[in-house]
Amino acid sequence: MKMPSPTRRHFIGGLLGSASFWLYSDHKVWADALAVGNAGPYAPRYFNKEEWRFLNAACERIYPTDAHGPGARGLGAPEFIDRQMDTAYGRGELWYMSGPFVSAPANLGYQLSLPPREVYRQGIAGADAYVRAHHDGRSFADLETAEQTAVLKEFEHGEMALGAVPAHLLFEQLRQNTLEGVFSDPLYGGNKGLAGWTLLGFPGARADFMDWVNQEGAAYPFGPVSISGETA
Amino acid sequence: MTTKKTDAIVIGAGWAGSILAKELTEAGLSVTVLERGEDRATAVEGDYPTSIDELRGAIRHRLFQNLSQSTVTIRNTMDQDAVPYRRLAAFLPGEGVGGAGLHWSGVHFRVAPDDLALRTNVIARYGKNFIPEGMNLQDYDVTYEELEPFFDKAEKVFGTSGEPYTIKGKVAGTGNPFAPDRSDAFPLPAMKDVYSATVFKKAAANVGYHPYSLPAANASAQYTNPYGVQMGPCNFCGYCSGYDCYMYSKASPNVNILPALRQDPKFTLITKAHVLKVDLDSDGKKATGVTYLDLNTNQQVQLKADLVIISAFQFHNVHLMLLSGIGEPYDPVKNTGTIGRNFVYQTITTSRAWLPSKQYTNLFVGAGGAGVAIDDFNSMNFDHGPLGFVGGSPVWVNQAGVKPIAAAIGGPAGNAPTWGEGYKDAMVETYRHSLTIDAHGSNMAYRDVYLDLDPTYKDAYGQALLRMTFTWKDNDIRMNQYVVSKIEPIMKEMGATRYALGHLHANELFDTRRYQTTHLGGGAVMGADPKTSAVNRYLQSWDVSNVFVIGASAFPQGMGYNPTGMVAALAYWAAYHIRTTYLKNPGPMVQA
Amino acid sequence: MKHCTFSFTTALGAAALLVLGHMPQARADASADLVAKGRYVAEASDCSACHTIKGGKPYGGGMEFKLPIGSIYSSNISPDPAHGIGTYSEAEFARAVREGVRKDGASLYPAMPFPSYARMSDSDIHALYVYFMKGVQPVAQAAPANGIPWPMSMRWPMIFWRAVFAPSVASAQKDVNRTFPTPAIARGAYLVEGPGHCGACHSPRGIALQEKALSASSGTAFLSGGAPIDGFVPTSLRQDQRTGLASWSEDDIVAFLSTGRNLKGESFGGMTDAVYHGTQHLSPEDLRAMAQYLRSLQPNSPNAAAWRYDPAAATALQHGDASARGAKVYVDHCAACHRTDGHGYAPAFPPLAGNPVVMSEQPDSLVHVVQSGAALPGMTKAPSAFVMPSYSQMLSAQQIADVVTFIRGAWGNNASPVDAATVASLQKSAPPRVLDEKPVPLN
Repeated sequence: MKMPSPTRRHFIGGLLGSASFWLYSDHKVWADALAVGNAGPYAPRYFNKEEWRFLNAACERIYPTDAHGPGARGLGAPEFIDRQMDTAYGRGELWYMSGPFVSAPANLGYQLSLPPREVYRQGIAGADAYVRAHHDGRSFADLETAEQTAVLKEFEHGEMALGAVPAHLLFEQLRQNTLEGVFSDPLYGGNKGLAGWTLLGFPGARADFMDWVNQEGAAYPFGPVSISGETA
Repeated sequence: MTTKKTDAIVIGAGWAGSILAKELTEAGLSVTVLERGEDRATAVEGDYPTSIDELRGAIRHRLFQNLSQSTVTIRNTMDQDAVPYRRLAAFLPGEGVGGAGLHWSGVHFRVAPDDLALRTNVIARYGKNFIPEGMNLQDYDVTYEELEPFFDKAEKVFGTSGEPYTIKGKVAGTGNPFAPDRSDAFPLPAMKDVYSATVFKKAAANVGYHPYSLPAANASAQYTNPYGVQMGPCNFCGYCSGYDCYMYSKASPNVNILPALRQDPKFTLITKAHVLKVDLDSDGKKATGVTYLDLNTNQQVQLKADLVIISAFQFHNVHLMLLSGIGEPYDPVKNTGTIGRNFVYQTITTSRAWLPSKQYTNLFVGAGGAGVAIDDFNSMNFDHGPLGFVGGSPVWVNQAGVKPIAAAIGGPAGNAPTWGEGYKDAMVETYRHSLTIDAHGSNMAYRDVYLDLDPTYKDAYGQALLRMTFTWKDNDIRMNQYVVSKIEPIMKEMGATRYALGHLHANELFDTRRYQTTHLGGGAVMGADPKTSAVNRYLQSWDVSNVFVIGASAFPQGMGYNPTGMVAALAYWAAYHIRTTYLKNPGPMVQA
Repeated sequence: MKHCTFSFTTALGAAALLVLGHMPQARADASADLVAKGRYVAEASDCSACHTIKGGKPYGGGMEFKLPIGSIYSSNISPDPAHGIGTYSEAEFARAVREGVRKDGASLYPAMPFPSYARMSDSDIHALYVYFMKGVQPVAQAAPANGIPWPMSMRWPMIFWRAVFAPSVASAQKDVNRTFPTPAIARGAYLVEGPGHCGACHSPRGIALQEKALSASSGTAFLSGGAPIDGFVPTSLRQDQRTGLASWSEDDIVAFLSTGRNLKGESFGGMTDAVYHGTQHLSPEDLRAMAQYLRSLQPNSPNAAAWRYDPAAATALQHGDASARGAKVYVDHCAACHRTDGHGYAPAFPPLAGNPVVMSEQPDSLVHVVQSGAALPGMTKAPSAFVMPSYSQMLSAQQIADVVTFIRGAWGNNASPVDAATVASLQKSAPPRVLDEKPVPLN
């Protein structure tokens, strides 16, 4: 797996100084992007140790390592999620969060007062408590992988509450953020080595297919490139 | 509160507002455009490659409305309590200069002429009893012939790519045989068909339908429009819908109008200006200007003007009319009032075909406006008599460029796993070898589907949120199911290894959690009768004659076609009549 | 013919009316027509490009010129009596503009192109004077002191410089009145050699920084390409194949001067300022005259072969073969706008195939545009603004050398390769990165 090169960190640092990025992006994300690339395992800033173990295990079950290549852990999805927690998105600042908060039919959408970071904090605590209660006191991260998958399936379809968080909501939050981490530009901490894009055959930020509009169903020949110029 | 004066105020810097601002400055007026979002210029934050970022763009909604400040509430039926639309999903209004016109896809239709007088046409062909109970079927009170010069003008401003069928009554190309006659060719030739679209085109023709390349406001070649602005050609990068086009090839107010407008000293653009209300004089018959909140200073500003153009997004137009007391709010029980009446949407369902593994559909290759469609089941192009519903749908392959996060979260469709074991295999096959076919259709207006002010929820400025009462109705569900059934033979003909048909289900409720389309319409509709329309045929308020309300809010029904072409034509149409008639003699242009 | 009289009156017409609308209140004794004509002369002379700084008041001066001998700053030429030229008589004004001598007798540095302005007609100088006195608002601020260290800071040696290199007004005027094939070419020569002072950048300079030729009458060195300015290398404006304007039609030149862009290329660096402040305001007749004159200039290197398009590089990329040096970097970062065939999408995105800037013997301009990017603001007749992103922080010196080598070699360009050391050394003279500038130029 390739870590961002000094050149790319330099590039991201440069973005921080440019007008467009200060105006239109979430600064924290870019500052974080600048900070990564230092060797060594990622140290989470939002999640505590127990949450981090849960998150790593759950992400990996959602997008597992297999014959196709690395799973969510190898791709940095937990790191991506941790960094997202300290953004406008993670804090729920992109959502209408004024009350009253009432229960409503599911088809009318999200009606809880919890931003994503609270969905995780309360949901993971609830999930681990649920798992300990049903699995001999073991936490989710300590279960066998098959057991973990079975628990996630329960959550996916279940109506049980994990603290204040419905289990299916925690599951969908995990699934969405994991896949975001696997398939977003590596600027945000996931998709390490562009392995997510490579699997799909997505060419990344090249954004030019003039020669490939219609080559009679032929496969596209070039591998992906990221916004900062990383290639795979 | 500070007070200032300008000739004309334009609320919202999207397509409608930019067109009106351009036209009114050309007429010599000083024009102030109030936009509540940020200023946006393609050269700055639309730059390459940093705008090619799915997470920041379509997923975290860089160009969309930030709901934390203001949203709507939604309920399906009148007996429910509405709840807030807290997270963007089903529809995506824009925010900032360019509005939804910056992040749209670029499908650029005119109108099916029959749709402009749908009530008259349905009655003429099938009789009055064909219209279901509770359906508010209405005419626009404007004809295609009247609008044609303005469709033509808009296409030239947008740099629209397309293949004509007839020009001045003579067959001039291989375009859509159901399309209305044109006075001139498209300014640019049609976009190339991506591989998926050619597969569809061939199969649809073999089945006996009439496929054509979509008219697209994605430039198929370099282009300079009548305002002197320059467009690059679309390179099918796929970053149209949800993005600003770094190639300057997708038409937007930012690329096609504002660069010229910004050079005009009579034009003033004020961003971060949230309009609280249109101010009326003591008897409520004349607007004196607007009051807006300067979001930078949190100060209220009173801006006086002789003419007020409400040209924000569809439902913001209706919201502002209700907050300002322009016209009578619609009451579905008494069936009185017009503001909020005939709120409509569009039906859209997606079906997917998987092709053999040697055929790569390269879903990331795409252009938001390009594709191949058939109109055989749109508008009144087919016999509704034995079917018993009103309306129709174009059917198309509109490969707009599928990005990986959306593809991954959306999942591989059908019964394939959406995570865990087996997920990657299904994803890869779907991403590399499948294509999608949409039925993008009409949605009729109903007595109990409407907009009003929510009694409970407020926006960040203390004003009542707009409330939507909306769900799918039997007429539209059956229309969708019928049209989708016509997709199946195409799937078979194109050699799909398997396919999954997507359609609305009987009694299906509107689901706010899943993106459908941002093509909301109605609520301040145009028409001949002030009892059933909010604005006259020139989009002038029946009640306050120096207020014009421009946008899809004027559509009495949700039509099968994408709305932007119609919105632009109506904007130029209204502007023309303001310039040639209203400004010479301000007052009602149609006597109520 | 009016063109032969070097009067600007033909150029004015409707433009004068527009200009008047923007003018500060003209005092009653000034003829509005004369002020408008003077404004036009100021635009043709590109005065504001040097004497107005971004965000500063018109003609307040203060623009820094970094010269090998130290920094100098443009002076305040507004009619402010204390800080500007408000106390200048017309004769003193004429002497400063055409001869480089200040009111107090001190010499101006030849960054002020008085050797070219010496060619300006009395009638234009008169209009220019009236404009600066009556049509410009006084700016009561002093320009910064020059930063040239002693002994180079001494202005008196300039007297000798002037005596040796600057033409006398009489000799300049005589050259202006030489014989031309057509009145339009005569008019074009006047504008290019005189007020337009194109040679200040586009002509080679000698050891004392003097232009080696000040008009077409003094040899083919004139406008045959200049030394780097702000890191960019001014190209030959003569009919040189590959590195000059041989492939530009009259329409191409007119379009470029009026909008900063055409089907062959797009302006960057100081030329963008020259178009933005200067040439875009000139009348179509004057621009056509300049184009006809430039097209009459014989090549400085008459034996160079013409550029011919070679499709090999494009064919390889279109078949997925990016194995050539720099080809993959080109596909990943450049082809989106400039095309695998190098033709670009002019005028929005300029072609690289056959572009004189690309084929220049010195790769500086190309390297700098790749490193720093470029912004082309909207012009009156072409309101769209375009930005080429900066790649200095995304690509290494080696990658930039590779891609520049690919661009210089592909599509028949056949220019020499560039190594990483050259790119690295050019980083020292790199212009500021695009979009770092605030406010960002839009239109």
